[in-house]
Amino acid sequence: MRTAVSPPADALTSERVAQTVRSAERRRRREDNVHGWAFAGPSVVMVLGLSFIPMVWAFWLSLTNSDLVSGGHYIGFANYSALAKDPLLKKAFTNTLIFSVLYLPAGLLGGLLTAMMLNRRIRGIGFYRTAFLVPFIASSAAEGLLFGFIFDPDFGVVNSILGKVGIPPQRFLTDPSQALITLAIVYFWTQFGFNVVIYLAALQDIPQEVMEAAAIDGARGWATFRSIILPTIRPVTVFLVVWGLIDTFQFFDLVFTTTKGGPLYSTITLVYYIWELAFNFFTAGYGAAVAYVLFFSTLIAIIVGLVYARRRGMAL
Amino acid sequence: MRRSPGTPRAVGLERPTTIEREGEIGVKRFVVLGIAMSFLVAACTGGSSDNNGGSSSSGGASGTVTIQFWHGQQQSAARALTDLVNEFNQTHKDVKVDVSSGGVTTDEMLPKVISSIAAGTYPDVVYLYGSWAANIAKSGKTVDLSSRLNEPGFNWDDFWDSSKQIVSPGGKVIGFPALIDNLSVIYNKKIFDDAGVPYPSADWTWDDFRTIAKELTDPAKHIYGVNYPVSGDLDTVWRFFPGLWQRGGQIISDDETQALFNSQAGVDNLTLWQQMATVDKSVFFDPNDSKAEPLFGSGHLAMYVSGPWEVQYLASTGIDWGDQVLPGYNGDHQTVSGPDNWVILNHDEARVNASIEFLKWLTAPEQELKWMMASASLPIRPSIMQLPDYQKFLDKYPGIEAMADNLQNAKNAMPTLTQWPRIVDALGQGISSVLLGKADPKTALDQAAQEADTLLAVPQ
Repeated sequence: MRTAVSPPADALTSERVAQTVRSAERRRRREDNVHGWAFAGPSVVMVLGLSFIPMVWAFWLSLTNSDLVSGGHYIGFANYSALAKDPLLKKAFTNTLIFSVLYLPAGLLGGLLTAMMLNRRIRGIGFYRTAFLVPFIASSAAEGLLFGFIFDPDFGVVNSILGKVGIPPQRFLTDPSQALITLAIVYFWTQFGFNVVIYLAALQDIPQEVMEAAAIDGARGWATFRSIILPTIRPVTVFLVVWGLIDTFQFFDLVFTTTKGGPLYSTITLVYYIWELAFNFFTAGYGAAVAYVLFFSTLIAIIVGLVYARRRGMAL
Repeated sequence: MRRSPGTPRAVGLERPTTIEREGEIGVKRFVVLGIAMSFLVAACTGGSSDNNGGSSSSGGASGTVTIQFWHGQQQSAARALTDLVNEFNQTHKDVKVDVSSGGVTTDEMLPKVISSIAAGTYPDVVYLYGSWAANIAKSGKTVDLSSRLNEPGFNWDDFWDSSKQIVSPGGKVIGFPALIDNLSVIYNKKIFDDAGVPYPSADWTWDDFRTIAKELTDPAKHIYGVNYPVSGDLDTVWRFFPGLWQRGGQIISDDETQALFNSQAGVDNLTLWQQMATVDKSVFFDPNDSKAEPLFGSGHLAMYVSGPWEVQYLASTGIDWGDQVLPGYNGDHQTVSGPDNWVILNHDEARVNASIEFLKWLTAPEQELKWMMASASLPIRPSIMQLPDYQKFLDKYPGIEAMADNLQNAKNAMPTLTQWPRIVDALGQGISSVLLGKADPKTALDQAAQEADTLLAVPQ
């Protein structure tokens, strides 16, 4: 039974046109998708293969009592409940936190001041800029070796300088109360070159017109710094804090080459403890649980930092 | 870590292991990446069989069995092993040995082997420290040779007792002894002469030791009496055992359920070192057991408690040195030895048999002597000391004879337990805290023993 009322011809056509347009749109999108994935595919595989799958695997490992040599079996969240009772984990966590607090402010301040000194046109500036980056590039194993000599209690340069100004010789890496600070100083020297480079780039991004306008308005050194330079480099600072947090939370290589976590666990850090658990104590499952503690504490620290930065309007 | 002959003792280079690490990508990245990669590879190859170890596997066209051999050695010791393997390959048509260091030094061999087991690409024969024996035996990839020791070629009686114990965790013989060393006192003759102190005699006591160390310490000249590592690992711990054993003490009970190192013998032993460290101030605290060597080499350490792995380095310094057995208690001068193993990992029966054939040949006295000549290591079989060419070895490395003879004084062995690394850690921190003046011997040892008891109570 046909209905008497049929849609008007022009409406039908417009419907058809719309359909054609839609399907062309869909096809185009599909092709875009194919092309997009073709380009992104390899890196997606890399990210999945080298980051995501190992993360999932490590989580599975943290639910077992595996020692990596033999399989181990599922023990639920026993590793995680053991974490709370582990005095060494607490020590490693505190040390890592102290280390971050020692390095981060100093690294930011030192990086900014040095960058400002380097942000001028003088003869040989390229050389000076390079000089500050060299320690960052050099291998940290070699730097551990070098500073082992510099901070040697008996024959090191530092003690001989201290002696000249009347300060008694210090034990540095063999003194439980000084070892971590000494490592933070070494770490500062090896890492703050990176902050210098990033800050230098940020400083050079400040438009000349703004500086000139400020000068015309009568702003001098400190006022310019506070009202122009600081606000402009805020996003970069946030970036450097996040970056520095990740790096200091994963501090390992200098410990490995100088003190091996000692004396008396005074330099044991989270990553060193994880290494020791997995490869020295044969408790890889528990080590993986500690690795997840590290992961989540880094994540939380970063989220807190970013939220704070957003609230203050210095978001990335 | 105590250095074995394989780890390079390059002339004039302090801390060679560290320098070597520089060549690799940053240690941190190496470890993180290594863990990630091993998991990944394991995930990808999950169900595959274990027989695809490396490019060449068993059953070649001619019926030759090919085995992978990782030794972790460097420089002259590595070259000597390669020469020996070539000789073996030429004289043995049924077995072909693929030799390589394994890509790491002996210090880092364990993580490497763990990763390779996870990936199914593990070698047939690998050099592993004795302290790892119990844990590698848990992998399920090791063999048990205990029923075959009487077969010709093993000559099992002709190994040192401490070697045999270390290669047999839980009664399972997982391979062959590869190396043995021991602690003695290496001393700088010039420092003794300058201070007018006679060289130590073979019957010296721990009290003599303490007096000498105190006399020779000279803060003005930055000269220390003796070294002690405070890193808290095995370097710290094994130096504690000779004095413990000499006083009749034990590390753990025979049934391996209880720590005994906090006995009166242990407390007395640690008290002596504590007095030297905190009262006499004659002890150099080595943060990672790699600073004492250059200190001795530069003439600032009078007595160096160390072993044969220093001999090549010492020769390169030109220092006039002597060595003496450890000080004794009631005439007992026993020392501690740190034997390492050639561990056989199981692919299939043919490859295990080929590995045994190779190791029988490699550990035979004639071959051992060639490798000792290159690596300055001690004889792993007493019979090597009867070979006519043994004298050439003694002539090549002056000072090593006393260390070889000192093997007779290695009467006790360290335990081979899966919990051992953690017990070492507990005890090591205890000893270090006493030496650094943060705890008294009795409290520190009791606490470490309590931790060890907890570890020993968990069935493995």
